[in-house]
Amino acid sequence: MYSDPMSSQQQELRVRTVVKCTRCDYTNTRDFKDGDYVLKTEEGQCPKDGGELYIAGIYAEEVKREQQRK
Amino acid sequence: MLIVALAQTSSSSSAAVILNYVFYLIFIGLFFVLSMPGIGQRFQMSFAIRDIEGKLSMLEKFANDSKVSTENLLKEKGAKDPKGLTERLAEIFTIDPVNVEPTDIIPRMRLLLRTTENKVRDLITMSAPGIDNISRSKIEMSAEVTNALNMVYKIVRHYLITAKKLNNIFLVYQLQMVVPQLVKQAEAYVKAQKTFIKGIPIGDSFGPMVASRFLMKAETKREVSRDTVAGEVYFEGRKLTVIKAKGPMATVGTPGEAVAKVVEENQGKVARIITVDAALRLEGEKTGSIAEGTGVAMGDPGPEKIEIERIAVKYGIPIDALISKMSIEEAITEMRKEIYDAVEPMVEMVKQLIRERTREGDHIVIVGVGNTIGVAQ
Repeated sequence: MYSDPMSSQQQELRVRTVVKCTRCDYTNTRDFKDGDYVLKTEEGQCPKDGGELYIAGIYAEEVKREQQRK
Repeated sequence: MLIVALAQTSSSSSAAVILNYVFYLIFIGLFFVLSMPGIGQRFQMSFAIRDIEGKLSMLEKFANDSKVSTENLLKEKGAKDPKGLTERLAEIFTIDPVNVEPTDIIPRMRLLLRTTENKVRDLITMSAPGIDNISRSKIEMSAEVTNALNMVYKIVRHYLITAKKLNNIFLVYQLQMVVPQLVKQAEAYVKAQKTFIKGIPIGDSFGPMVASRFLMKAETKREVSRDTVAGEVYFEGRKLTVIKAKGPMATVGTPGEAVAKVVEENQGKVARIITVDAALRLEGEKTGSIAEGTGVAMGDPGPEKIEIERIAVKYGIPIDALISKMSIEEAITEMRKEIYDAVEPMVEMVKQLIRERTREGDHIVIVGVGNTIGVAQ
């Protein structure tokens, strides 16, 4: 977690996993869990067409939180 | 000064007069002492040294925390004597090859680097027999971070102690200028270690991620060189051989050796070599912005990059470089959304380049350069 002591905002990274269907354009984004890797087959089936799901990407996004000045 | 003091205190009480005399004496005494040669410099040095010592204690903390992380990872995987092995890995070093005579410096460099890699790998597998490749690669990366942080801490400490012994203010000033940057880099390394342990793709995994988009469609993939895979796909009448490190291990593989092998297998009948990699951005540039160039996009000390250049020269194959820009911290920590969002545009850029520069029936080699942690094929 990066924090700039001069800033009033504390930045935190949240890792997300992108899940896609092999057959259609279904996409879902959820929180990363241990064991995830890109191109891993995801458990379950596509809610649209019952196709196989796989992990298409993993990335981190900033979650800005206001930090109260002491 | 004494006349001024007298004038100011002539109408005050005796206690105030004495106090005023004392303050003036202290002020004059300090002024006299500080104006003597060498004294002011000693004061400046002591302030600078205190500043450096504060940052050195941060570097020490980073190095120790990193050792604890590596030790815990070894314990988790059932390694024998995790503490002893961590200490050993933290102190491993590689001596540069002689460069006064540079004739065969590349094979010598390759031998030295491979020997160190094999040594670390063997130490880990001997300590934890039966460990899987992914966990072993995570421990290797973690050990590399521990080693780097340990060395940075020791080198800064060495120069600080030397500066104190020699009373050398210029050495202290140089350290004071450089140490904040080292602390920032060390902080990035500590974050990177946490990312490696969790197996999350980093910014440097951009190249392998682009390659994985092509390799998804490959029916078979084979290991062409150490920790490196290749697969064949077809695109608009062209045959593409896509190469990347073998994921989701934390490894960069041996892409140079792989490209040379693939090109030789095809008797040099390759129309183009396209390398995709992460590159350092300049301040002011946007993270994830992509650019096109010429040459081998690879942050390698020499042996792998030169293999691609030599095979390209041998058969007259043009080399294209496609990069995504990011800072050093973004390259070694979790892949940011802006970098992930650049993957699809980069895939399109590769396809566009193939359409523009090659014809149907051509064979193109695409290399996704980078650490493939968290990215399979």
